[in-house]
Amino acid sequence: MAKIIMCSDMDAFFASVEQKTNPLLRNKPIAVIGSGARTVITTASYEARMFGVTTGMTVYEAKKLCPHLIFVVGNNEKYTSTSKELERIYTQFTPDVEIYSIDEAFLDITATHHMFGGVDNVARGIKKAIREHFGITCTIGIGPTILIAKLASDLAKPDGLRWIKEEEVPSLLEHLPVKKLWGIGARTAYALASMGIETCGDLGRAPVSILRRRFGIMGEVLKGMGMGIWARPIMIHEQEPRSIGHSTTLPFDIWTREEIGAYMLQLSEMVGRRARRFGYRGRRVSLTIRYTDFETFTKQMTFPAYTNDTHTICRYAFSILDTIRLRKRIRLMGIRLSLLIRETCQMELFGEFGKRHALVHAMDTVNDRYGEHTLAWASYVHRRELPRVISPAWRPTGIRSVHIK
Amino acid sequence: MYVGKIVNVLVSFSLPGHIHPLRFQWAGRLIRIQEVTYRWKSREGAKEMHHFSVTDGSTLYELVFDSTSLIWRLENIEA
Repeated sequence: MAKIIMCSDMDAFFASVEQKTNPLLRNKPIAVIGSGARTVITTASYEARMFGVTTGMTVYEAKKLCPHLIFVVGNNEKYTSTSKELERIYTQFTPDVEIYSIDEAFLDITATHHMFGGVDNVARGIKKAIREHFGITCTIGIGPTILIAKLASDLAKPDGLRWIKEEEVPSLLEHLPVKKLWGIGARTAYALASMGIETCGDLGRAPVSILRRRFGIMGEVLKGMGMGIWARPIMIHEQEPRSIGHSTTLPFDIWTREEIGAYMLQLSEMVGRRARRFGYRGRRVSLTIRYTDFETFTKQMTFPAYTNDTHTICRYAFSILDTIRLRKRIRLMGIRLSLLIRETCQMELFGEFGKRHALVHAMDTVNDRYGEHTLAWASYVHRRELPRVISPAWRPTGIRSVHIK
Repeated sequence: MYVGKIVNVLVSFSLPGHIHPLRFQWAGRLIRIQEVTYRWKSREGAKEMHHFSVTDGSTLYELVFDSTSLIWRLENIEA
């Protein structure tokens, strides 16, 4: 029996939430931006999109396209809270839910749709629950695979509902440009075009040997996508994390070792705290640096001991920094901990390390109870809160559920 | 505009755990809530905070209910 997969995609999520919150913003072109000085547009309302305003544009670029555009500083807690509630709505219809991002989810309703009177009723039920609960809309696409369900939702936006049945897939894909498929970005589409492959029909008919030669093991996946048969199962359970990382665009460009050190300690604390909360240790640290001209590079080192201690992570990051000859000022920094293992061993409770462990544990306990940064390291306590952006990897639960103010 | 003051709020509670603010006192005035435009939750450490964006028809207010201390705060006003 063919699977019945549903893709629920919120319509201009952040902008819709802000328009629902403030009646004066409804039916007006608005753009949600971050709180940082060097912010970009995170979501534009459909009214703004009509002027060509899109995600990722700078405020200046957007204002040129739409002079009367209203900018609203996003409220991340509002969006993450709504996303958690959305998950609760989805699980009323099926336990097989994959929260793909803050505003997208895949639901496998193969085994449960009959309990609600059919596929259409499930889709309409979810749309109704979201409209009644939040006053915002979503688009639902349905298909035999997540690829086709996502395509259906993209084709039906906004506030739409489309079901692409298995037998309709070949005719629909025949003339569909490859870039319309989820997962085929501009670069892949360009590479395919250079091989004379413009549509999904072309892609499905292309010999796999040629695709493999150009794209490696992805060649087979691309052919399957072109034929509409590529499928991966819905990931209901959180996968074991391969790394834990945080990065931030700094409020202003930095250069001195003292400035760099303070931000490295702050990022190390964020990484270490999340690793400690979920019981992981790692022994590879990666440091990412972006210069003011957007040149970006990552260097990593593997260390003998597994750690989740803030100062040890920071010391490791400094070891990497010492191997780099900085040539320009820095606008973005990131620290990542990988080669993770579950924390199972007994900590050393005596000596210098035992004291450090007790201190970090006490800080975590206070911050868990009274909120983040209630107790913070003195080296960065005078600094402003780092601008926080919801990562595409954010999830409502588990290790990817990062609290973002 | 950030306010951050404790306020008295008249509220109706309905099942299942639905909180609906009706009116509140601010600056010597009784403000009647016409619409709860949005609601969301946040955490301050172990405390769960319930946020309500409300309007009296002309002004937008953000009320916050601390479910641990049972205190209401007027957080923001947007004219």
